[in-house]
Amino acid sequence: MKPGQKSFLGRLSADAPLLFILIAMVVLMALLLPGRFLASYNLINLANQLPVLALLSIGMMVSMLSGGINLAIVAAANFTGIVTALTMNWLTGGAAATAGLPVILMSMAVGLAACMVIALLTGFLIAWLEIPPILATLGVMMLLDGLSIVMTRGYTLSGFPPFVIEIGNGSLLWAIPNAFVILVLVIVALHFVLNRSPFGFKLYMLGANPRAAEYSNIDTRIVLMKQYALSFLLAALTGFIMMGQFNSVKANYAESYVLVTVLACFLGGINPFGGDGRLSGIVLAAVILQTISSGVNLLGVDPFFVTAMWGAIILIVIAVSHVTGRYSVQTMIRALGLGRDRADAGSKTKE
Amino acid sequence: MKLFQRSEFYLLVLIALICIFITSQNPNFLTLQNIYGVLRSASVNGIFAVGVLFVLILGGTPDVSFPAIAQVTQYVAVLALIAIGGGNIALAFAIAIVLGAVMGALNGIIIQVFRVTTIVVTIATFNLYFGMLYVLSRGDVLFEVPRPFHDFGGTLLFAREGANGAVYGLSLLPVLWLAVMIAGWFILRRTMLGRSIFAMGGDEVSAVRIGVNTFAVRLFVFAFVGALAGVAGIAHASLVLSAIPNSIVGVELEVIAAVVLGGASLFGGKGTVTGAMLGVLLFAILRNGLVLLNISSYWYDVTIGVAIILGMSANAWQQLRARRNQVHVAVEGEAPR
Repeated sequence: MKPGQKSFLGRLSADAPLLFILIAMVVLMALLLPGRFLASYNLINLANQLPVLALLSIGMMVSMLSGGINLAIVAAANFTGIVTALTMNWLTGGAAATAGLPVILMSMAVGLAACMVIALLTGFLIAWLEIPPILATLGVMMLLDGLSIVMTRGYTLSGFPPFVIEIGNGSLLWAIPNAFVILVLVIVALHFVLNRSPFGFKLYMLGANPRAAEYSNIDTRIVLMKQYALSFLLAALTGFIMMGQFNSVKANYAESYVLVTVLACFLGGINPFGGDGRLSGIVLAAVILQTISSGVNLLGVDPFFVTAMWGAIILIVIAVSHVTGRYSVQTMIRALGLGRDRADAGSKTKE
Repeated sequence: MKLFQRSEFYLLVLIALICIFITSQNPNFLTLQNIYGVLRSASVNGIFAVGVLFVLILGGTPDVSFPAIAQVTQYVAVLALIAIGGGNIALAFAIAIVLGAVMGALNGIIIQVFRVTTIVVTIATFNLYFGMLYVLSRGDVLFEVPRPFHDFGGTLLFAREGANGAVYGLSLLPVLWLAVMIAGWFILRRTMLGRSIFAMGGDEVSAVRIGVNTFAVRLFVFAFVGALAGVAGIAHASLVLSAIPNSIVGVELEVIAAVVLGGASLFGGKGTVTGAMLGVLLFAILRNGLVLLNISSYWYDVTIGVAIILGMSANAWQQLRARRNQVHVAVEGEAPR
């Protein structure tokens, strides 16, 4: 069977806990905020806020599929936005808000190109110099944050043309936010890239067993380069959406999201050692985290309480999955020797 | 291992080159006054680095919760000393060390019992500790720390008068850092416990087979990291003379990078106290150099990023070359490398 592909039973049992948590959270929020949480304006608001977290989480997940990580993901999003904004300012002689469509598209192309140069650098460090991804991307993150601060002198750049704001805040299809439409399109596209394309197949193989992948005539370096390019592409896309949503760019926007995306990957069942993790899991995890943060925000709770709660939630999920993990369908399948691979069991430490 | 194959050696060369360059641009760099200042400002990160080193040698992903632990212990210790109206610095250290050890031990217990990778657990406890500190303290800044912190932070050894009339000397903070490093070196290199930590980092299953009590060792390592975070928290309060709930968090990735540049492996079983010290010193010297060269502090992150990337690249390049030159003889039954 292809990696990433499972029997229907396996797939259902894998996503069931997440679906259960999501439903429980929605019910809880609906009870705590009667008539407010499920109101249409709040749901639209949720759909508007979700894409930034979800796209960053998917970018993080892509980097984890080979056993890597991308700590530079938020820095890259900000960097793309800043390069785009500065190019727009430069092309219009300082009046970015009046930029025409050709100028806007050209600026975005420059921002994207800058981000891709960084992606190539990161891929080179990891694939050719074999620097551990956590360190390579940490260095790149500090470099990008630094460049962003130097380019903006620490200031916020604001005032963009309506087209840019429409990307983040507008809605073309009835009331559905454009950002949400972009997210859905990305998920569909990534489903084909990860689960139906040769690249996706190679990526999962590389993560499951790098040596076996190499001996199967897979050019692991090229796969790694493409993987980080994809991860940074998602970051750049997030950067464009953030430009529209905040109508400004700044060096350290959404910095805390780096760790939240790692948390989303953990919640979504992505194996940090690579080779295992489904798109459905990470999307559900992002929706859960956004539901919680929006709901708690509506409740008017101290935002730092939310920080503490995120920590508590991870610990609870760890404990619950440890207790129930022993009796889940998947464990039974594995125990009966019906599992698809033993590498999975081997990667866990001896009990 | 040969000297020129060690990452410490490359780091030392890099530091020497940077020092030569800075001195050539601004001779004030190599004055005793400036060196004391660099050591003083590097102490807090240096103490953290010893703890980070222990976790990296133990294996698995790095701990990121130590700044949150330092933040909480610092705040609690300052509050406690304010409450009793003075006290002394030993009491502050005792409170911070005990509280820090308990908070760190919790990480160790969760990791051991639930078998989850360190970074996930410590991200969770980081958020939990830091969030609770903010909620319970309502973000109140304690601008006035009690007398003992002033005394501890202000004591100068070898004090003398500088050219501009200001008195300078070696602060107690680098002495504290040195003591922590000696303790760390002693545990790692001269005790059974240290051998067990290296053994677990090399291969946990083998460690279990030779009779290492993995739970006890892991519990010790994380309690030790927590205790050191407490020490660093008090040192930080003595340095800045205030307790601000978000003044320490944010250093975690820089400290981890410093320790890894110093040769500690992210795969466990490898690392030295000297390397961790050199890594911290490199960053402190870079920060100081930017000031002396009159370069805007905006460039600090760029410099650190370039330093990490260059340092790691040189290290990786050297390892790749060593591997290429190595003749590998496959022993029967051995897994191919």
